[in-house]
Amino acid sequence: MFKKILVANRGEIARRILHTCREMGIGTVAVYSDADRKAVHVLDADEAVHLGAADPSESYLHIDRIIAAARETGAQAVHPGYGFLAENGDFAERCEREGLVFIGPTARVIRALGDKTVARETMIRNGVPVIPGMNRPESDPDALAREADLLGYPVLIKAAVGGGGKGMRIVQARDALREACVSAASEAAAAFGNGAIYLEKYLARPRHIEFQILADGLGNVVHLLERECSIQRRHQKIIEETPSPALTPELRERMGQAAVAAARASGYVNAGTVEFLLDPDGRFYFLEVNTRLQVEHPITEMVTGIDIVRRQIEIAAGLPLNLTQQEIRGRGHAIECRIYAEDPEQGFFPSPGTIVFMQEPTGPGIRNDCGIYAGFQVPVEYDPILSKLVAHGEDRDAAIARMLRALERYVILGIRTAIPFLMDVLRSDAFRAGETFTDFVAAHFSDWKPARTETDLARLAYIADDLGGRKETPATGLPAGEHPSPWQRLGNWRR
Amino acid sequence: MQYRFKTDEGAVVWTVDPEGADRLTVTTGTQTLHVRHDAVSPHHLHLAVDGRGVNAFVWRGDGEKTVVIRGVPYPVQDADFAERKTKKKADRENLPQVITPPMPSVVVRIPVSEGDRVCKGQAVIVLTAMKMETTLTAPFPGRVTKINVAAGEKVMPGRILVDIEKEAETDAPEEGR
Repeated sequence: MFKKILVANRGEIARRILHTCREMGIGTVAVYSDADRKAVHVLDADEAVHLGAADPSESYLHIDRIIAAARETGAQAVHPGYGFLAENGDFAERCEREGLVFIGPTARVIRALGDKTVARETMIRNGVPVIPGMNRPESDPDALAREADLLGYPVLIKAAVGGGGKGMRIVQARDALREACVSAASEAAAAFGNGAIYLEKYLARPRHIEFQILADGLGNVVHLLERECSIQRRHQKIIEETPSPALTPELRERMGQAAVAAARASGYVNAGTVEFLLDPDGRFYFLEVNTRLQVEHPITEMVTGIDIVRRQIEIAAGLPLNLTQQEIRGRGHAIECRIYAEDPEQGFFPSPGTIVFMQEPTGPGIRNDCGIYAGFQVPVEYDPILSKLVAHGEDRDAAIARMLRALERYVILGIRTAIPFLMDVLRSDAFRAGETFTDFVAAHFSDWKPARTETDLARLAYIADDLGGRKETPATGLPAGEHPSPWQRLGNWRR
Repeated sequence: MQYRFKTDEGAVVWTVDPEGADRLTVTTGTQTLHVRHDAVSPHHLHLAVDGRGVNAFVWRGDGEKTVVIRGVPYPVQDADFAERKTKKKADRENLPQVITPPMPSVVVRIPVSEGDRVCKGQAVIVLTAMKMETTLTAPFPGRVTKINVAAGEKVMPGRILVDIEKEAETDAPEEGR
């Protein structure tokens, strides 16, 4: 087993990986940018190496500096987390060349699956159903217009590499295609360093269902059941759950087999996720393979009891999976809510700033993978994810009730988050009925505002704060918001 | 003592009688409430309103507090302060409006050139912040007199990215989309 692992990421996911390393008795190295000197992953690691300026190109995307940090600290393996270099074939190849173990699939597999048009071809050859669309990227606007006419509107523009909804646009009619292609290509180029785009037929009201897979280097492949990730805004998931309310045992079995076939077809090794769209008639289509640890992996860990990061590390170290498909059973129901620094009343626009106060939810069946603390300044340079709140219950209703209770207790002051929005989604009839399609937010929650039914209580709190505050502040001369230490409070009593 | 709170329909006045350090009797327009209050921490209050307990979390801003109750943030504003602020805001709005980023951002594209005529609402600059693109538009019809930034540049709020000279409200020009 490795003695030391470098985690080439930041925030909540870096911290989550560090935790498993520590449990396995493996030494840890964090890397950080100027903006992250006091970020949680730096605080939690055994060692931390400074990479450079806050801009990702100078830090978390700077391959030379990350490799140098691994050399300098004697790390034997690199875990890339998600985002940044996680699906960068050049980085994986560079690690391989430098004698470092990249915890993920090989560069060849990352490249083959990372190019979605190549992946589509591989799946078609291996009998996995795909959405009608193009099998190679295209930049000529006239050629794109011809393809779109062939597919029929609405069409979906997608970035050939990358994910997370970046560079994705739905185009309803021909006159909007050109501008949408330019803007999608530019967003993709900025996010992934590659502006290649292609078109797919846009499916109305699908569900987004994905299967977690684990594959070792000896040819063993299993899936860890599905995750339903249909609740999205800006094509980015915000609520995920497992099991999906839409799958029958028979459909689960067929989709699981297709996911394992997709993994085998691409020679996959390590943890990965096979994404499908499921249409209202129960037909499913291959979407893509995410060749990394997925943001929403904790819900799978909650229902299967399997630590996916531990399995990733063991597989990368050459150990066999020792797990059969029959041994994998889901227990109960798990839901994840992603907590971003964003304002749900202003179109989910990012809301950076300093966390003034935080109260994390706790209790039975609650897990919070958290990348912030009171006093932490949320950098503007990175994805605004703050934490992932996960609730596990005996069944779906119990998990929803538990999540609502946890969200009510989750307080983050200083920036805006979508917590009130997430609560209203979980309380809605459509969500409770399991009617979760990818158009859910647009269909039920456009122009959402929270029902502010407790204004009187808020005013009472304003008054109480006013009256309490006046007595308290002059005592220590500390700025509001800082807790005086007992020594300061004792004042003259200290000798 | 009295508190005046801002509402959409004007100010409401509440009468507050403190009793000791931790009790209040509050008369709103419609009811009288008996409140016991404790500061758990500088941002966390526990209230018992007519005996029913509730936790409130307070984030103090400029003349406004955001109070979070059961996960929902409530902006609570002092009416006098709000009136002064609205007046200031109105004064500000009479000044020529400018093209400036809402937060630290990077310029992605500039779809206009110097000398271009733009109509109100036309995209003049595309920015990215926290990995999301946002478009700044012309606040009025006019002519682009100067572009002060280049694609790829980092920009801060307050910096004027594009100068637009205001022109009379005419119909949207055909050229220069």
